[in-house]
Amino acid sequence: MSVKNKVAIKPIYISLGLFVVLVAAFTIGNKSFLSLYNAQTILNAVGILLAVGLGQACVILTGGIDLSVGSIMSLVSVVFMLLLGPLGPWAFPAVLLIGLVSGALNGLIVSKLKIPSFIATLGTQGILLSIAYLLSAGPLSVPDNSYGLVDIVNGAIGPVKSVWIIGLATFAIFFVMERYSRMGRGIIYVGANERMSYLSGLDIDRIRLVAFSMSGLGAAIAGVVLSSTLYSGYPTIGGVYVLNSIAVVVVGGTAMTGGAGGMLNTLVGALIMGILNNGMTVVGVDVYAQQVFLGVLVIFAVAVTFDRSKLAIIK
Amino acid sequence: MNETILELKGISKSFPGVAALRNVDLRVDRNEILGLVGENGAGKSTLMKVMIGFHRADEGKYILRGQEMSLSGPEEAIRVGVGMVFQEGSMIPNLSVMDNLFLANERGFVRWPLLDRKRMAEAAREQLEAVGLGSLDPRTLMRDLPASRKQMIEIARLLWLSSHYGAENPILILDEPTTVLQASETEMLFSILGELKKKASIVFISHRLEEVVLHSDRIVVLKDGIVVADAPQAKAEVRAIEMLMVGHELAAEHYRESMQGSPSGEVVLSVRDLAMTGKFEGFSLDLHGGEIVGLVGLLGSGKEEVCRCLGGSESPSAGKISIRGRETRFNSPKDAIAAGIGVIPIDRRNEGLATSLDVANNINLLVLARMRRGLFLSPALERKSALKWIGEVMIKTPSPQTACSTLSGGNQQKVVIAKWLAAEAGILVLDHPTRGIDVGAKDEIYRRIRELAAAGLSIIIMCDTLEEDIGLSDRIVIMKDGRMVRDISCAKGAKPTPVDVISYVV
Repeated sequence: MSVKNKVAIKPIYISLGLFVVLVAAFTIGNKSFLSLYNAQTILNAVGILLAVGLGQACVILTGGIDLSVGSIMSLVSVVFMLLLGPLGPWAFPAVLLIGLVSGALNGLIVSKLKIPSFIATLGTQGILLSIAYLLSAGPLSVPDNSYGLVDIVNGAIGPVKSVWIIGLATFAIFFVMERYSRMGRGIIYVGANERMSYLSGLDIDRIRLVAFSMSGLGAAIAGVVLSSTLYSGYPTIGGVYVLNSIAVVVVGGTAMTGGAGGMLNTLVGALIMGILNNGMTVVGVDVYAQQVFLGVLVIFAVAVTFDRSKLAIIK
Repeated sequence: MNETILELKGISKSFPGVAALRNVDLRVDRNEILGLVGENGAGKSTLMKVMIGFHRADEGKYILRGQEMSLSGPEEAIRVGVGMVFQEGSMIPNLSVMDNLFLANERGFVRWPLLDRKRMAEAAREQLEAVGLGSLDPRTLMRDLPASRKQMIEIARLLWLSSHYGAENPILILDEPTTVLQASETEMLFSILGELKKKASIVFISHRLEEVVLHSDRIVVLKDGIVVADAPQAKAEVRAIEMLMVGHELAAEHYRESMQGSPSGEVVLSVRDLAMTGKFEGFSLDLHGGEIVGLVGLLGSGKEEVCRCLGGSESPSAGKISIRGRETRFNSPKDAIAAGIGVIPIDRRNEGLATSLDVANNINLLVLARMRRGLFLSPALERKSALKWIGEVMIKTPSPQTACSTLSGGNQQKVVIAKWLAAEAGILVLDHPTRGIDVGAKDEIYRRIRELAAAGLSIIIMCDTLEEDIGLSDRIVIMKDGRMVRDISCAKGAKPTPVDVISYVV
């Protein structure tokens, strides 16, 4: 009787269908779309989108949003370049820790000050970006003695690029957390019904803290990979990934209202976004026009997955 | 006198997979109160929505005042004098009574270019008079009013709108108007409805058959989308209607009294001089093993707050709570759950369940720690636990993976009960466990409550009706204005009648 019954198809099947359609359309548009070289290029981009998207998915599943992931990526890229020289390989865990701490800060602000994540992360986005600028306004490049370390990320094992392995490993960790840990289930419960979760004794503050920390971690991984592939770190590096990370999550069929969707959806979403970004260029869509398609896609995806029963009035 | 105002002929309406209404004939006469009853899912809501043009019937005729018509929507229904007061209420809380009364129809009060507030207030007073709220200041904010008054104001708005559009003898549809009301308010509502029917027809839907039989001029019973009875009040009887609604004879006894046992001597929960500033004080109770205690009182008597303190969602300002002799303090529901207290809330959709999640996830929420093999949750264990409880509590669901939103109210309630049983709560606080549940499912819930008590669980219960409280409980504790006023035994076979008790409550 409600609108719900009409949307019988699970969002993830719509996403998979879209994935197939896009591959077919771009292949028809340009034969070289399916070439080995282009497929590799797409998968490199997917690795980064996936890492930041998985983190974002943790927050969106709780019903929140993390607008600070771009700034975390930027800050991480700058600090990574600064630390490679003095710390060597320890630069990797150090910057991942920065991501975790930044995320945890978001989580604390949201749960302890009780303000919407939209506002909280809008604030920290500015703060983290400023710190990145204060550390280095201009681009930093890889110190001469550290190329070997960076090329671990850029390297390959046989035909398999490290970036893909990093993406897949990140996916594995997030997926297992979501499906097979109480914390992952807690994230879903809170997103599906926060009041019920509280009355059922779940530690909502802790769940939020972990969700935002995971988001920070995902962004940090994406930041390290991105700055490694570019051999450079600078404060504007992550800006575009705010919209991209949200797009990856919602295009995969995770609801902005929380509690529905997950990491598998995000994997599909990352593939779609990687293909779309690349394919539009390959078939010759004007760079300035590409944002139109992305915007339409995001709005469409949210419209399909949004649980309107949770909101009395759409604002 | 018995002139027909609205006639629905051969109405059928289907939704994907369900035939909600099948060839339904319904007439509404001038100046009558028509009671409409039926189990959940019998098609009452759909029929109402067809009446106000929210749904368009697949087949059938809609004849209003002798003219066949096809409504474009609720907007047009109001203009021809058919309006509905919804269960949830549709008023804007932060606007005043008069703003709500005339919302979206303020044109008549415009004195270019502004609204003539004074004239609005005068007109509002006149409308309020008609529903017995003559003393209410029309500038009062809606949110400051109790539910009963909000409802009267909605009725006043519908009356005003129909006279505004010149519709004579309007039809007012009230969907479960008494669920939000206290006994005295219910009486008041019906006395006003009795007055209103002199110039309007009223269709009212209720789960409380006693009310329907008492206050309707005519009663229509729906079952599975078909009208199974249409009888004048004089011929209606509660038991007969119940049988028509469920289609089979119910257990001869109410509340499964024959299963009532006797509580053990052990005091499981002991409350001493519990108080919450401004809400209640001096609340003391000894709850024994296997005992069912009914907490009785009007809204504002403090009983709701007592239960919230026991469930840990609110903190008392004074007093002691001991569980099996050990004094405890609850800072959050988490502490209460750890102490073995489970609360089954009145608002299942918002507080008891995650309706968008599946049955298994709702049942296993509290016991996920036990669903692990090694570090990780085991889907096999989760499934096993879910299936066990689905069988145990007899939840009608296609599979453990079915979303709770698709289950009926009674089955949703069973999911909530299963969740707390799985957690092995020793003390259950049941906040109106049968609210909004149909007759057949109610009986199953009663039986389940009896079985739980027999198994040694201690239960504090707050019911929809005094009769239910008395029927289910071993004893009832009556609260009034924040204080305990009586503690009355309701032992098996020696129960007081609601009439004996009501004087202490009000």
